[in-house]
Amino acid sequence: MSSAAIETNQDSNNRDEKLLIDVGSTYFKLSTDDNLEQHFRDFNKDILDDLMQKCGDTIAGFAKKDVHICSSANGGLTTLIVGISHTFSLKYATNIAFNSGINIIDTVLYQDIEDYSIPSDLIDVVIIVGGINSNGGVFSSRLYDYLAQLHYSNIVFVGNEIDAPTVEENIDHVVILPNIIDNRLHIVEDHLSDYLTHLYQQDIEGKEDVKNLYNITSNQIYPTPYIVNKTLPLIDAKFSVVNPFILLDIGGATTDIHYSKDLVDDNLVSENEYDRLVFKKLGVYKSKQSLIFAAKNNEFVYELLMHLKVTENIFEEQSKKATKILMQLAIFLVLCKISHYRKAYINIKLLSLNSIVLTGGITKVLIREEIEDIISFFYKKILNSEHNPVTVLDSHYDIWTLEAASLKERGKKLCQ
Amino acid sequence: MYIQVRALKNMKVVTGVVGNDIHVVANRLLELSLDARGYEVFNLGVNTYLEEFFDAVVETGADVLMISSLNGEAEGWSREVQLLKAKYKHLDNLIMMIGGNLVVGTGSAEDIIPKYKNYGFDIVCHQVDLNTGLDQLEAFIEERVVNDSDIKESNK
Repeated sequence: MSSAAIETNQDSNNRDEKLLIDVGSTYFKLSTDDNLEQHFRDFNKDILDDLMQKCGDTIAGFAKKDVHICSSANGGLTTLIVGISHTFSLKYATNIAFNSGINIIDTVLYQDIEDYSIPSDLIDVVIIVGGINSNGGVFSSRLYDYLAQLHYSNIVFVGNEIDAPTVEENIDHVVILPNIIDNRLHIVEDHLSDYLTHLYQQDIEGKEDVKNLYNITSNQIYPTPYIVNKTLPLIDAKFSVVNPFILLDIGGATTDIHYSKDLVDDNLVSENEYDRLVFKKLGVYKSKQSLIFAAKNNEFVYELLMHLKVTENIFEEQSKKATKILMQLAIFLVLCKISHYRKAYINIKLLSLNSIVLTGGITKVLIREEIEDIISFFYKKILNSEHNPVTVLDSHYDIWTLEAASLKERGKKLCQ
Repeated sequence: MYIQVRALKNMKVVTGVVGNDIHVVANRLLELSLDARGYEVFNLGVNTYLEEFFDAVVETGADVLMISSLNGEAEGWSREVQLLKAKYKHLDNLIMMIGGNLVVGTGSAEDIIPKYKNYGFDIVCHQVDLNTGLDQLEAFIEERVVNDSDIKESNK
């Protein structure tokens, strides 16, 4: 690691400019007031060494307090949620987890708990939820028997108050937080959201190479999707986006979708204007094989390949063209997954959509016409519609910097 | 059983308007009337899907599910009630009630009530005054408590 650069970094306190760094699964992005750098990561190197080698000069110009980092490079936390209904406990906990930057979520409906197979992998956090505070006696030894078979690092109870003492007695190291369902059946997000964000932070600190990033910043490292979600209300400062819109972040490992709440018929009333969901293993580099697997299982994909004038042999190729096709497939599969065509955690009203914003690695590979071609194919084929939402490309991949820019603007106004 | 141990007036009721029906005024009146009679009310409001009703019962531990429908939409949705309820493992003692205008166009209560009872409802109120409907609910609850006591006695 370039210790000289870090020393300079610690001594540079005389600027009011901020350096924003996003450490992704495939790219680094650095943003200053007047410049944006992007570098493909070298996976044989420690993250900080790689970063300092490629951008050491830029980083050296900033004090630790002026460097803000977000990262999705630790892969995100894995979560298992045990709840007593799909519409309330499981849905509310899933919503809070996604919006807190959690990537991988499995759910278990408590009444059928014995029917679920036991995950063999280590789960980062188990969330137990169910019942309003006046509805006790919801959980019994069936829960404890199931949990005894799991491997997990953290466990949190956010269900009814009456069951909390028994749960605390029967589960070692369980964290008890206030119920996420209030007495009007509304969602209460803050406590669980803070807990999960903090857990993400601890996870970063526990992973050696991400932890080293604290050598160049004195600020908390946040999950990238959490930051992106916070920037969405500010998006029209930079892009011509008409609400309601969705933002697709198709990256190397996962695909994130952020959507306006107007696009879902939902019983979920919260203060967020935008929600997030993730499709794990739907990326074009690290999870290429599972993307191809998903594609082969979609009945319309062969038609799409024909439309793109290629055959399925393209999946075996290693070429620029093959990457483009994979990206196009990813767009199509994601739209299928959030439409009524596939019953998912939510179904977005795609016919009411005015804009689709694309960000992530995809903006480097595809041009606007290639994206619009797929979107139009999807609307015609799956939704039988000529509807055509406007495509907006975050070509510089700097949507995640909007929140910082807005904070700075507000700061300037206050000073005046 | 919940009903035996809980005073009648402290019972929990989940209510709302089923399907694509936005008759919010009637829904609000129903909530106020239930509240005035001492029930703890969980009002899911208009445009509510069947699964949301049952899930709300599970989360609240409600004793009564009271579905209202003003535009006749209930008929289409009610056909699914038994199928959906069967997926839930602990709702056997739930009192199922439906009321409002239960057909599109006109129909007689003699035809409509048996049909909805076949769909799985215990109490059916077609174009019945609100208070009369709620009186029917109370009578049903009292009758059930008496029956349960009788069964208990005979089992001794």
